[in-house]
Amino acid sequence: MLSVSLTVNGRPVTATVEPRTQLCELLREDLNLTGTHVGCEQGVCGACTVVVDGKPQRSCISYAGDSDGCSVITIEGFDDDALMEQLRDAFSRHHALQCGFCTPGMLVTARDIILRLGETGAARIREELSGNLCRCTGYVGIVEAIEEVSKGKVARAPQTVVAAIEGTVAVRPVDAPMKPAVPPNRPAAPTASAGVGARKGWSSIEQRLAVGFPPEIVWNRLSDIRQVSFCLPGAEITELQDDRVRGRMNVSLGPIKVALNGDGNVLLDAENRIGRLSGRGQDAGSGSSAEGEVEWRVLPGEASGSLILVNLSWRLSGRLAQFNRAGIVQDVIQRLASIFVTNLESSLKGEAIDETSIKPLGIWSLMLGVIRIRVARWRGRNA
Amino acid sequence: MKPASLEYVRPRSMEEALAVLSDETANAKIFAGGQSLGPMLNLRLTRPAKLVDIRHIPELKAVRADARLCSIGATFTHAELEDGAIEDFTRGLLPYVARGIAYRAVRNRGTVGGSLAHADPAADWVSTMAAIDATIVIRGQAGERRVPAQQFLAGAFTTELGDTELLTAVELPRFSAAARWGYYKVCRKTGEFAKAIGLAIQDPKIGLFRILAGSPEGRPALLTRSAETLATRGAEHAARDAREEIEEVLPNLAPAHRQQLIAAVQRSLGQILLVEAA
Amino acid sequence: MLEVAFLRSPVAHAIIRERRKPTGFESSVVFNEDMEGVSPITTRSSIPGYKVSDYPALAADRVRFVGEIVAMCLAANRAAAEDLCELVEIEYDELDPIVTCAAGRSPGVKPLHEEWADNLFLRTSLDQGIDDVIANAPVVVELELSTARQVMHPMEGKGLVAWWDHRAGQLVVQTSTQVPHLIRIGLAECLGIPQAIIRVAAPDVGGGFGYKCMLMPEEVAVAWLAYTRKGAFRWIEDRREHLTAGANARQHEYKIKAYADNRGRFLGLDAEVAIDCGAYSVWPFSACLEAAQAGGNLPGPYDLQAYRCSTFSVATNKPPFAPYRGVARPGVCFAIELTIDAIAKAVGREAWEVRLENLVAASAMPYTNITKKFYDSGDYPASLLQVKQMIGFERIRSEPRRDAKGRYLGVGFATYTEQSAHGTKVFAQWGLPLVPGFDQAHVKLTPDGALEVKAGIHTIGQGLETTLAQIAHEQTRVPLKDIRVTLGDTANTPFSTGAYASRGIVMTGGAVSVAAEIVAGRIKSIAAHLLQVRAEDVSFRDGGIFAGEASVSYEDVGRAWYMRPDQLPDAVDRGGLEATGAYKPQVDTGVFSYASHAAYVAVDAETGLVEILDYAICEDCGTMVNPMIVDGQTIGGAAQGVGTALFEESPYDDNGQPLASTLIDYLLPGPTELPRFRITHMETPSPFSAHGLKGVGEGGAIAPAGALVNAINDALTPLNAAVREIPATPERILAAIAAAKPTLGNVA
Repeated sequence: MLSVSLTVNGRPVTATVEPRTQLCELLREDLNLTGTHVGCEQGVCGACTVVVDGKPQRSCISYAGDSDGCSVITIEGFDDDALMEQLRDAFSRHHALQCGFCTPGMLVTARDIILRLGETGAARIREELSGNLCRCTGYVGIVEAIEEVSKGKVARAPQTVVAAIEGTVAVRPVDAPMKPAVPPNRPAAPTASAGVGARKGWSSIEQRLAVGFPPEIVWNRLSDIRQVSFCLPGAEITELQDDRVRGRMNVSLGPIKVALNGDGNVLLDAENRIGRLSGRGQDAGSGSSAEGEVEWRVLPGEASGSLILVNLSWRLSGRLAQFNRAGIVQDVIQRLASIFVTNLESSLKGEAIDETSIKPLGIWSLMLGVIRIRVARWRGRNA
Repeated sequence: MKPASLEYVRPRSMEEALAVLSDETANAKIFAGGQSLGPMLNLRLTRPAKLVDIRHIPELKAVRADARLCSIGATFTHAELEDGAIEDFTRGLLPYVARGIAYRAVRNRGTVGGSLAHADPAADWVSTMAAIDATIVIRGQAGERRVPAQQFLAGAFTTELGDTELLTAVELPRFSAAARWGYYKVCRKTGEFAKAIGLAIQDPKIGLFRILAGSPEGRPALLTRSAETLATRGAEHAARDAREEIEEVLPNLAPAHRQQLIAAVQRSLGQILLVEAA
Repeated sequence: MLEVAFLRSPVAHAIIRERRKPTGFESSVVFNEDMEGVSPITTRSSIPGYKVSDYPALAADRVRFVGEIVAMCLAANRAAAEDLCELVEIEYDELDPIVTCAAGRSPGVKPLHEEWADNLFLRTSLDQGIDDVIANAPVVVELELSTARQVMHPMEGKGLVAWWDHRAGQLVVQTSTQVPHLIRIGLAECLGIPQAIIRVAAPDVGGGFGYKCMLMPEEVAVAWLAYTRKGAFRWIEDRREHLTAGANARQHEYKIKAYADNRGRFLGLDAEVAIDCGAYSVWPFSACLEAAQAGGNLPGPYDLQAYRCSTFSVATNKPPFAPYRGVARPGVCFAIELTIDAIAKAVGREAWEVRLENLVAASAMPYTNITKKFYDSGDYPASLLQVKQMIGFERIRSEPRRDAKGRYLGVGFATYTEQSAHGTKVFAQWGLPLVPGFDQAHVKLTPDGALEVKAGIHTIGQGLETTLAQIAHEQTRVPLKDIRVTLGDTANTPFSTGAYASRGIVMTGGAVSVAAEIVAGRIKSIAAHLLQVRAEDVSFRDGGIFAGEASVSYEDVGRAWYMRPDQLPDAVDRGGLEATGAYKPQVDTGVFSYASHAAYVAVDAETGLVEILDYAICEDCGTMVNPMIVDGQTIGGAAQGVGTALFEESPYDDNGQPLASTLIDYLLPGPTELPRFRITHMETPSPFSAHGLKGVGEGGAIAPAGALVNAINDALTPLNAAVREIPATPERILAAIAAAKPTLGNVA
């Protein structure tokens, strides 16, 4: 629990709450200021907009801790505000509200628009209002009300400019990045969206790798499942028995860290030189699950070398799957595939896998330690 | 939805912040405004054990400048840039970009450094900083290092920044009076993530000619050949080259998306032409 | 009070193999088997061939959509309840999901509900004779069209607080609903308890649009908690829940063959409509209302003599379909309006001309159309000509087809007619468990001369507090400031089925008018006695009751009845100063509002973006009680229609995972995406309703998709491209252009 002190509508308030408490929860549940409405908790709809330290902000994506010491004004705090009174009156006259749910946030934003910009035309008002959603009115009355109240108002003086400290800025040339650039995309088959390929509901990416060893040798190396798994960033096999594996797959996407725990199968078809490692796991935290598969085929290549076709396919369900930016997942898998192929190449050449090559995919430090040890062991065995 | 349990810490100095971050097992996450992190916290997609609020560290809100470069602290908000709260070193580019980010209430709190570190490829600063050849300043316990913005981003949501490090500032070239820029976003909605970003900069005095194509799905692409054309033959020719170069460097994009990207880049170059004509 | 969080299925279709509660939390986690004696939500229908689906509040052995409730978790606050959700272990054996209408209709598909013979809630066919037309029509136009799945997205989601009132021995349910009286009936049925011990009240409701006109599983579950545990419990829907588990509207597919003569005169329409109904039937409107509305309304405002239509209500692994503002008509209007434009293109005429010639003429009113809808009144062609004028059609046509930025310009029209306040006969025909009859309202003059109006309908932002007061004022002349309207509480309002089907002003407005008229008569007779004149000699004026220059106040009348009965005549009406009035229109098949919309757009052929340059509406909802509210309803509806046309979509992947779980994925039109709608009104009173009123709540949402996509396609004419799917996203527009111009595709 966290004790926080803030000023709400001019009154000092102290509360002991969990640090995860949203500011809007603190206002509504602890202080009973229910004029602040919670519409999305995603920072988009604007219903929860309140004034924090003089500026409108979302109260659904700020929290008790970071609000400590702030001054907050909610819609209830504007009862005696002259400008707000004009706005309330204009909103009524222009039929600027129907269900009224968005109205507290609208009014807080409207007041800020007028204070900041003074007399303002409809187009700019619409732009400034775009962070407040209304589902009832079509905004016509809202825009008219604000435009009317803004008539004759003068913009507040702009804030003072932070002076630059004079002095040499760059004292030395830039450094090389610690993390090597992501391996370039190899000539890849177009990323297959769902439905393309063998199985419905799966997406897949294919990569090719030409190596200078004959197929038998390459196949032999790639028949060792543990070794293959070392090349796949974030993969960790904890048990391997016959064709059954148990393990973990760690992937992170910025602040999103997923640890998929589960089990899977191994298939090694020596005759056709096809290997397949498939698994299914759950991430308890995000209530998501994933199925994934790496398949490698070793084919005869040019000049007695080999061509390795690597196919990564996946299927997601639960919270992690429920976004409309499939391209990002593909970007991650694409990078995963590139690194996998690069590591495969290194390992076939008997080179060490660059442990940092795994890092761009965000396997956090704990995992890195594990991998480092495993890579070392593997190299030892192969030496 | 409400966040999973977490702790909140508020370091008052860089040293304090780095000390908190140095514990690799702590699963700490820097909170620089929370406008991207907040929704992910609420959806429990991210579950840090500790939020490290860096908004109260004075050094992160400093501006430094010399004749060639200027440096902006990481915790300046988008709204502060929009309002001209710091001297404009880029002939209006930064305030213009800032005003197009999300919504005012979000800009009042979201920070430049936070946005860069979050590294959503659809975000405006990611593309802008790469395009103007900015340098990202990173501090860790071992000291400071500086990485070109274009190399800072490895891919969607993935950056050069380590878990124990802090993005402290961005260094920008100081544009000359001869600088011209164009910035064009393809968005279905005001404040929405861009589907495509085109950025063109031409500053012959400081020798800066850059063209960038930003896509929401991965690292933005610098169009180096078109930029050379911009330097040698001007924006009109560069616009022609850009189409080809985008097709070359981003071969796997869906056709509609590539077309939007081409339009965005060509229109950013068109803005340069307009300014020149005026 | 304890807070509830629901654990919802992460997969679209599965058998629940096992479920385990975390140790120590056995009573804080509720599974289906814990809710002994609770019946599933079951919607029966008398339509032959309709199949019943049992929709349990908490999933029993199977889940059929992502978001279906699997467990209910209780804790001191929401965050803690969500923590608890994470500890519950559910094991699923996944089954193949049915994610599209095509899959759901394919031969041999395993029905979503095991006991069904096929996978359709219902299949209907209507054939009004079309063979002759097929054989002889000179012009045939074929179209395949589709509309995306949507959420309704009231800004306030669903939510309820339920508690046991120990003193009254009553279960009190405060819920965000449009239909409090229906919720009481539904809860009593599911919980198996008498209606008398349930009170349902809905205080302020933050928007509804149809989302809150059905009994929700969450309402059953939380009410059950309060009833069995005799405590207080709360659940508030969050946006993620709404966007995923609430994606329940609008998704249609059309196959249309239209027949016309060489001038574009409509000869016949042959259509197949499939509705992506989701997994269960909602109560009370069922999974089939949408298809009934679609099949019945597809001919629209047009004079059509031959019509054949089959509808397929397909069960899919998605949230159960519900009636969203306009119910099916935004889809059918989009379909018929695109058809009209396609016919116009085929015969080489302007679309407005063809539209005009096909609209039912004013002289034909009242008109019974081919699906036996009784169009009571109006001048449809006049509304079209009006918007054509407003949008500046002639000017637009005289100007270049591209603007200074190179964007393509286009203008499009749509005209619709909307059945509103449809009553007993219509609902009985649809076979629904709910058939609305008379609506009732109670009006009472208080001892201090104010007026109380109570009605069982509810207000969800449509301004009924204002308009009902206006109607009561019209009859009694009690000053508006002294009239208080109370709605939406089963404990103190007369019964109404509630707010849906654009029925409020007609039905409850009519009831208030009847009740207020009775009370007005009694006020007059008491006033006359006090003034010592005959009742017919008094009149309401200037906030009082006058006989010549002599007057008494409403307070005098109120005081006389309640406190000074010694002043009353012996023959005073025993009903006193209060009355309950009931109303339904003489013709209860509904009164038909209508409108024409015109849109002027610019289409950027490089980015696929559309800008609405101008938007004009000419509407007729009969007598307008309050023009400001009519404008508000119309514009608000049209804004949602723009969402349907250009932005809103809940896509699903092949696994049945919803892909829009945030407002970043699901785009709602904001202030910069919406035009400044311009409206003019025509006012043709209905001959069949009190005061000539017609409903206006839904209409605005019906036409925009038709008008906007017609405008987009008009703009794309030089490129020979046409969009057939909504929302008309940049991707769809670019794809349409690429399909029409293969060279563009090659470039890409």
